[in-house]
Amino acid sequence: MARIEVVMPQMGESIAEGTIVKWHKKVGDRVKKDETLLEISTDKVDSEIPSPAAGVLAEIVVPEQKTVAVRTVIAYLEAEGGAVAAEASRPTVPSAMETPKPIAMAPAPISAAPAITPLAAPASGRFYSPLVLNIAREEGIAMNELELIPGTGEGGRASKKDILAYVAAKKSGAIAAPSSPSVSKATSAGILAKPVDVPELRGKYPAPDFEILQMSNVLQKMAEHMVKSVATSPHVAAIHEVDMTNVVKHRGAHAIEFEKKEGFKLTFTPYIVEAVSRAIKKYPLVNTSIEGDKIIKKNFINIGIAVASENGLIVPVIKNAEEKNFLGLARAVNDLATRTRAKKLTPDDIQGGTFTISNYGVFGTMIGTPIINQPQVAIIGTGAIKKRVVVIDDAIAIRSMAYFTMSFDHRIVDGALGGMFLEEVVQYLQNFDINLKF
Amino acid sequence: MAEKSFDVVVLGGGPGGYTAAIRAAQLGMKTGIIERDRLGGVCLNWGCIPTKALLKNAEVLQTFRRGEEWGISYDNLKVDFGKIIKRSRVVSEKIVKGVEYLMRKNKIEHIPGYGVLLGNGAIEIRAEGKPDEKVTAKHIVVATGARPRTIPGVPIDRKRVISSTEAMSLTDQPKSMIVIGAGAIGIEFAYFYNAVGTKVTVVEMMPSILPVEDAELTKMMEASLKKQGIEILTQAKVESVNPGSNDVTVTVTAADGKKELKGDVALMAIGVQGNVENFGLEKLGVTVERGHVRVDSDYRTNIPGVYAIGDVIGPPWLAHVASAEGVHCIEAIAGKKPAAIDYSSIPGCTYCQPQIASVGLTEEKAKAEGYELKIGRFPFRPLGKAVAIGEAEGMVKLIFDAKYGELLGAHIMGAEATEMIHELVMAKKLETTGKEIFHTIHAHPTLSEAVMEAAAAAYGEAINI
Ligand SMILES: Cc1cc2nc3c(=O)[nH]c(=O)nc-3n(C[C@H](O)[C@H](O)[C@H](O)COP(=O)(O)OP(=O)(O)OC[C@H]3O[C@@H](n4cnc5c(N)ncnc54)[C@H](O)[C@@H]3O)c2cc1C
Repeated sequence: MARIEVVMPQMGESIAEGTIVKWHKKVGDRVKKDETLLEISTDKVDSEIPSPAAGVLAEIVVPEQKTVAVRTVIAYLEAEGGAVAAEASRPTVPSAMETPKPIAMAPAPISAAPAITPLAAPASGRFYSPLVLNIAREEGIAMNELELIPGTGEGGRASKKDILAYVAAKKSGAIAAPSSPSVSKATSAGILAKPVDVPELRGKYPAPDFEILQMSNVLQKMAEHMVKSVATSPHVAAIHEVDMTNVVKHRGAHAIEFEKKEGFKLTFTPYIVEAVSRAIKKYPLVNTSIEGDKIIKKNFINIGIAVASENGLIVPVIKNAEEKNFLGLARAVNDLATRTRAKKLTPDDIQGGTFTISNYGVFGTMIGTPIINQPQVAIIGTGAIKKRVVVIDDAIAIRSMAYFTMSFDHRIVDGALGGMFLEEVVQYLQNFDINLKF
Repeated sequence: MAEKSFDVVVLGGGPGGYTAAIRAAQLGMKTGIIERDRLGGVCLNWGCIPTKALLKNAEVLQTFRRGEEWGISYDNLKVDFGKIIKRSRVVSEKIVKGVEYLMRKNKIEHIPGYGVLLGNGAIEIRAEGKPDEKVTAKHIVVATGARPRTIPGVPIDRKRVISSTEAMSLTDQPKSMIVIGAGAIGIEFAYFYNAVGTKVTVVEMMPSILPVEDAELTKMMEASLKKQGIEILTQAKVESVNPGSNDVTVTVTAADGKKELKGDVALMAIGVQGNVENFGLEKLGVTVERGHVRVDSDYRTNIPGVYAIGDVIGPPWLAHVASAEGVHCIEAIAGKKPAAIDYSSIPGCTYCQPQIASVGLTEEKAKAEGYELKIGRFPFRPLGKAVAIGEAEGMVKLIFDAKYGELLGAHIMGAEATEMIHELVMAKKLETTGKEIFHTIHAHPTLSEAVMEAAAAAYGEAINI
C-alpha cells in the first residue's frame, strides 16, 4: 500500500488557488480511479476532480469551503495493490477553459514515475531555467508566485539562488505566499463571471430570456467586502465643489517637460494624493480604524487608489505618502499604475492602506458616494473635472470644476471633522501654486 | 611634461588587463594600458599559448608512434627539440602581435614601462632610457598577474631549479626532469617532456595528481600517464632540493620512506603568487591578503578608484577568469550593473593527452556539501567515433543533485575533453537539468554523445551501454 498525495490542481494559467466546494468521499471511503473525488472552484472555473488512483481516502487535509494555493496537498489516498499512479489529480477540464501549457512532460503519465505536474506558462514571458522550474515544482511554488520573485541573474532572470532565497524566506515565515484573494485578483487574467447551467434556477429563469452566470471568486469577495463595509460603518457622505483650475493649469504647463524628464505622464492623481496626505496630517483622526471600543491611530499614511482592472476592482497602496514630496508621489503613482497594468503587483502592494481615493471621474461621473474600504474609516471619491461657469467676487468666470465626495464612518468621524477635512483637501487644490517646480 | 589623463588606466597587459582595456574603449572611455614587458602577459608569452604549442608537438609525436596501428610505417623518427621550442615561441609571438593590433584598433594607448601607483589616480611610469612619465586616471585597474611560487628556502636558479618560464625555453633537452607539483602546469610539462624522450618523475604532496579534479578521473589519468612512462609519486613531500653542477637532487618523504631523486633539472610547479609588491599598493593602503589583493564582487579594492582583476586577486588562476573579471569590472565602472560572476561555472582544463576538463563540483566536494547525488557515467569505449579515431580512452561523469536535478559538476577525461566541456558549462550556467541535456540531440558519431549518454545514465536511460 502506498500513500498518495492529492494536491490542489492547477486549473489554468495564472490560477493561484482553488476553493474546495465539496468532498464527494468521506475518510475511509473506497474510491475508484477517475471517480469524482471532490469539487473545486477557482477564479475561472468549477471542476469535479477525479481520483488519481484507486484506493481508500485516508485523510482529508483541507476541508470544504477552504481556499488553498495550487499544489497544496489537500488529501491522502491509501492506494490499493502494487500499481501506483502517483500523478496528482488531473481533472477533465471543461472545454471552455484554457489548458495549461506543459513544460516538462506531457500530461497524465501512466508510469510509476514521480508526479511531474506542469507549471502554467509565465504570463510575463519571463524566462525560467529548467532548474528553477524544478525547484518551484518541488517546493509548491505556483507560476504566479514565481513571477513575483525578484531576479538577480542575467537580464534580471530569477536564478536558482533567487528562488532558493525565496523558499528559505518563505519557510522561515519572512514572506507569506500570495494566497490572499486580493492577490489572485491582481494577477489572474480573464473574465469576471462565466455562464453556468444550474437546473434549479433554469425553471425560474428560462433561456434565452435569462442567462445564469457564476460569480467569480473575485466578484464574490467584492460582494462580501461591500456588504460587510456597509453593515459595519454608518456611512455619511459630504460633497464639496472644488475649483481645479490651478491644478489643471499647473499640469498643462508642466506636462511635456515632466514627461521628458521623468519618462511618464503627469496625471491628476498625485495632486489629489498630496492634498489628501496633507489634510490627514492636520486631521489624523481620519487615518484610523476601530477595534471594539478602541481607536487604532496610524502614524503613517498609506493611500490606496481604487482602480478598475479587467479582473475587477483593485486598490494598490502608496506607502508612506507623508514622506514623499510631489515628485515622489507622482513616481509612486506611476509605478503602481504601471505594475497594475502589467499585472506585476506584489501582495505587499495591495495591503496596509489607511485611506482610499476613488477616481470615478474617469468614467464621466460627476458625483458618487463611495463605500469605505474596511477597516479604514473614510474614502474620497473624485468626480469628473468639467469647465463650468462660476461666480467669483460677483463676476462670472469659467473655471475647471469638480465634485469631491467624502464618505466617512460616523462611528468616529462626525460631520464637523468630515467637513473640515474635505475643506482642507479642497483648499489645497484650489490654491495650488501654479509656479511650483518639481 | 604635461600629465596625460585617462578615464581608465590598466596596469598589466595580460588577458585580464588587455581585455579590460578593450571593453573600456568599447564603452567610450579614454583608456591606457601600462605593461613592463610584452602585451599578452603570462598567458600569451609564458603560459597558456606557448605550452599549448609544445603539447601539440607531443601529441603529434604520440600519434606518429602509433603509426603501425594506422598502417603507416617509417624509419628514423627524429625529434628536433630546438625546433619544437622555436615553434612555440613563434606561435606566442604571433598571438602577441594580435593583441598589439587590438590595442591600436580600439585606440587604447599602450604605455610601455613599469607602473607605480602614487595615489589620487596618479601613476608614474618608469622605462629604461626614458624620463619618468606620469599619467592620471579616474579608474585604475590593477592586473599585474602572478609569478611562479617556490618552496621556502629553494630558490629558482633557472639552471637546475627552473620554473615554467625556463621549461618552455630550454636550449638543450634535459635527459631527466623532476616535476615538483602535479597541478595542471606540472602535469602538462611532465606529459610534454616524457613524450619528447625525457625521463620524468612527478612529485605531488596530495593523494592524487590534479588534486582539484574528481578523484575517479584523476585515478584513471594517473594510470594513463604511468602507462606512457611517467613516474608519479603522490603523497610525497619534498624535503630538500640540492642543485649540483650537473644535476639536482630532490629528497622526498613518501609513504614508503625517504627517497633521493636525481635529475638534470627540477621544475618547480607548485603554483603561483600574486604580483602585489613594489608598485605602490602598500603606500595606497590597498588591502592585500595572503599575497593577493582583496576585492568585492565588482572588483573594487578598499581604495576608491582602484580595482583589481585576474591572477593578482587569487585563485582560480586562469586566463579566461581574468578576462571575464576584466569585462565585469569595466561594466560595473560604467554603471551597467553586470550580474556577478558565477565562480561555480568556470571550466578548468588540463591539455595533456588524454585531456581532463571539468566544471563545478567534484563528487567528493558535492558530498561534502551535503547534496544527495545522482551520478551518470559514460565511457568513450562504446562510442563509434572514439573507436574510429583511436581514442577509446576516456569517460564523461556528470553529477546531479537528486532533489532538484541541478547539474552540480561535469568531468571529462579523454581526447577533446577541453572542447567538449563547454556544452556542460553552458548547461550549468543556464541552470538546465539532466533531462534537457539528454533530450538535446547530439550528432552521431561524435565524442560528445558521451555527454548525452552520461546524462541519460544518471536517470537510468543510457542507450549504448
Ligand atoms: C605555464 C603556464 C601555463 C598556463 N596555462 C594556462 C591555460 O592553459 N589556461 C589558463 O586559463 N590559464 C593558464 N595559465 C594561467 C594564466 O596564464 C593566467 O591565469 C593569466 O595569465 C592571468 O592573467 P592576468 O591578466 O591576471 O595576469 P598576467 O597574464 O600575469 O599579466 C600580468 C601582466 O602585468 C605586467 N605587470 C605586472 N606588474 C606590472 C607593473 N607594475 N607595471 C607594468 N606591468 C606590470 C606583467 O608584465 C604581465 O604582463 C598558465 C600559466 C602558466 C604559468
